[in-house]
Amino acid sequence: MSDSASLTTDHPGQAASTTPPARGRSRRLSDRWLAVVFISPALLLLLAMSVFPLLWALYLSFTDYSATRGGPANFVWFENYTAILASAQVHLRALTTLIYVIGAVALQTVLGFTIAYLISRRTHGRGLLTTLFLVPMMLSPVVVGLFWRFMLDAQFGVINSMLGSLGLGQVEWLTRQQTALFSLIVVDTWQWTPFIMLIALAGLTAVPKYLYEAASIDRASEWFRFRTITLPLVWPLLLIAVLFRAIEAFRLFDLVYILTSGGPGVSTETLSFHVYKVAFLGFNTGTASAYGILMVLVVIVLTQLYLRYLNKLKED
Amino acid sequence: MVTTAVACGGGGTESSAPKAPATVPELTKDPLTLSFIWFDWPPAHALEDFANAEYTKERPNVTIKVNTVPNANWHDAMFTQFAAHKTDFDIPILDSQHIGEAVTNGNILDITDFVKKNIDVNAYNPYLLAAYGQFPQAETGKRDENASLYGLPLLGDTWTMIYRKDLIGDKPPQTWDEMISVAEKCQADNPGVSGLAFHQANGSDAAAVTYNTVNGVYGGNLWDAKSRKINGVLNDAAGQEAMDVLVNKMKPLTAKGSGNWFIDEVNAAVAQGKACIAFNWIAASGALLDPKQSTLGTTREQILEKLGFATLPTQKTNLVPLGGMGMHVSAYSSEEKQAEALNFMKWFEQADIQKKWAAAGGVPSRTDALESPEFLNAGPFNKVYADSVPRMRDMWNVPEYARLVDIENTNVNAALNGAKSPKDALDDIAKEQQSVLDSSNRKGGGGL
Repeated sequence: MSDSASLTTDHPGQAASTTPPARGRSRRLSDRWLAVVFISPALLLLLAMSVFPLLWALYLSFTDYSATRGGPANFVWFENYTAILASAQVHLRALTTLIYVIGAVALQTVLGFTIAYLISRRTHGRGLLTTLFLVPMMLSPVVVGLFWRFMLDAQFGVINSMLGSLGLGQVEWLTRQQTALFSLIVVDTWQWTPFIMLIALAGLTAVPKYLYEAASIDRASEWFRFRTITLPLVWPLLLIAVLFRAIEAFRLFDLVYILTSGGPGVSTETLSFHVYKVAFLGFNTGTASAYGILMVLVVIVLTQLYLRYLNKLKED
Repeated sequence: MVTTAVACGGGGTESSAPKAPATVPELTKDPLTLSFIWFDWPPAHALEDFANAEYTKERPNVTIKVNTVPNANWHDAMFTQFAAHKTDFDIPILDSQHIGEAVTNGNILDITDFVKKNIDVNAYNPYLLAAYGQFPQAETGKRDENASLYGLPLLGDTWTMIYRKDLIGDKPPQTWDEMISVAEKCQADNPGVSGLAFHQANGSDAAAVTYNTVNGVYGGNLWDAKSRKINGVLNDAAGQEAMDVLVNKMKPLTAKGSGNWFIDEVNAAVAQGKACIAFNWIAASGALLDPKQSTLGTTREQILEKLGFATLPTQKTNLVPLGGMGMHVSAYSSEEKQAEALNFMKWFEQADIQKKWAAAGGVPSRTDALESPEFLNAGPFNKVYADSVPRMRDMWNVPEYARLVDIENTNVNAALNGAKSPKDALDDIAKEQQSVLDSSNRKGGGGL
């Protein structure tokens, strides 16, 4: 009340300047406290569900701990890491994973961008088409794996039935070394091409129309417009989609588990599938933790390199 | 319940399994659910129905729940809970080879004293009692009276040969070589029908059991248990011959794309009339007689006119694979549930209950139940089981079992699907399994 009274004086400026600073500071502190209160549940959840397990896994990765055998976790320092990096079994799985990531992501990028480009040129039914294309992405990978397993069955699968009606022979999609990994790539592509398509479509929609109009006035060909306007403007966004997909593909587990169980032999065992076996068949928790940490490191390093390239692209 | 940690003698294999009391403690009168864990297959459902119908007559406050998981997750589902030292099941149904891992980790109760006081051990074929409960394993096929017991038989099982009487005649082949030539002829005479159907998948123990069966029949050995030697034993001349027979003689007689077949796929091939001769676990064969699932006839009798069940053919030996499982008591269950579990086991192993279990579709282990009309008349394959009991051989029952079987599964599967030559596959199995056994106490990098 005294403050409002002072505002009625002839020196309002003076009155304002004499507002006690302590009150303002206390309000700021109160805001900060409120912010902490609001953020802390999410922060605690993040710490409990992500940060703590990661740090715990990091600790276990330097030990010989086994979750089932129990007992103390003896420090073996970098022995788990050196064993993993020197293991021929791990090298084999790394190669399989690399082939899978490159094959699946490349195919999805080409198909996803092509579909997005074709949809972006349509004026009618664009929304419906986009929604329909997105359906596979909304399904659980386990469900996708199960019905593709039936579809790819050599004896009664619909794919071989269609090939048969075309006069072609039966293909052992999931039980031959040459076709099993290819089948995994095809199934993953079926499910995740829409993701690339969605991102590419967002990029294509954002390209300013006046650029195309200017190109039309200059009588630029379709290919010229695509090469010099569309692709350069969509490329950075597309690369981010590729990054997400590559990380996802790198840690592929579910489709392998359902479709091939890593077979024939171990020819479709990815790194994630191998970690699962190390962790749960022999319960070598220390080794599995080191394996997981190494996989995270690989993703972080590759992502950093990739982001630098993206930034450079932006600067250029 | 008072439990103490004890050391298990023999074999240098340490046990940290807590001991169960010799007598069943006082049981609760409050409502109680006794939970089992098993994989999803017909005997699991039969057990739940049977136990709820019969055990509740004695213990009306108890409900039996048999939780099931897919076969491929069975080991993980049990041992991840054991790792957490907290289980949502009271009676884990372990494969005989899981016992070593569970005992050395202290996950299940040592019921040696309980068995001595409550179970008539002479009522069983000693090997069955040993296979489903004893650790260290009964290497000789005979029960070691001094070894500790950690489980009691729940379901006996072995492979049966299923053959098409209408295609190859009423008399089943007697030797393995004869079986192959009969299947070859049948396949040639009946386009669209494959000569053979058997487990080849690389999940669970599918392909491994197939190779182990052929290995046994051709006189091979899985290992020398005393010296823990696999390399040089498994891949000796007999082992090589078995792998050659499996990959080069048997595999060409199977359906295209059957390289990932397991129990259900083999049953489906037989039920659809697509196989002349098949091999499957007896406990999973009941569905073959269901007209709703078969194209071989509209009644059980019509189906049985076409399908025959026989013991496995012999060759250099007459060995057959030991299947089936025992029931155990989780070390992490509450005291009242452990008491109820022990009471259930005592009840289940009675002669009249075993016969009722047989009539309900189960495969008992007590000799009197195996010889009873209730069992022998319950299914056409039950006599096959009774005749096969003296011929059984199990795999390694060691804590490293899960890794050993995975190595064998993946390599046999690779050989069957052309990803490896038979010789390379067998040598790799022997080398990798030996390395697992030799590195049991390795510090760092274990499990790769």
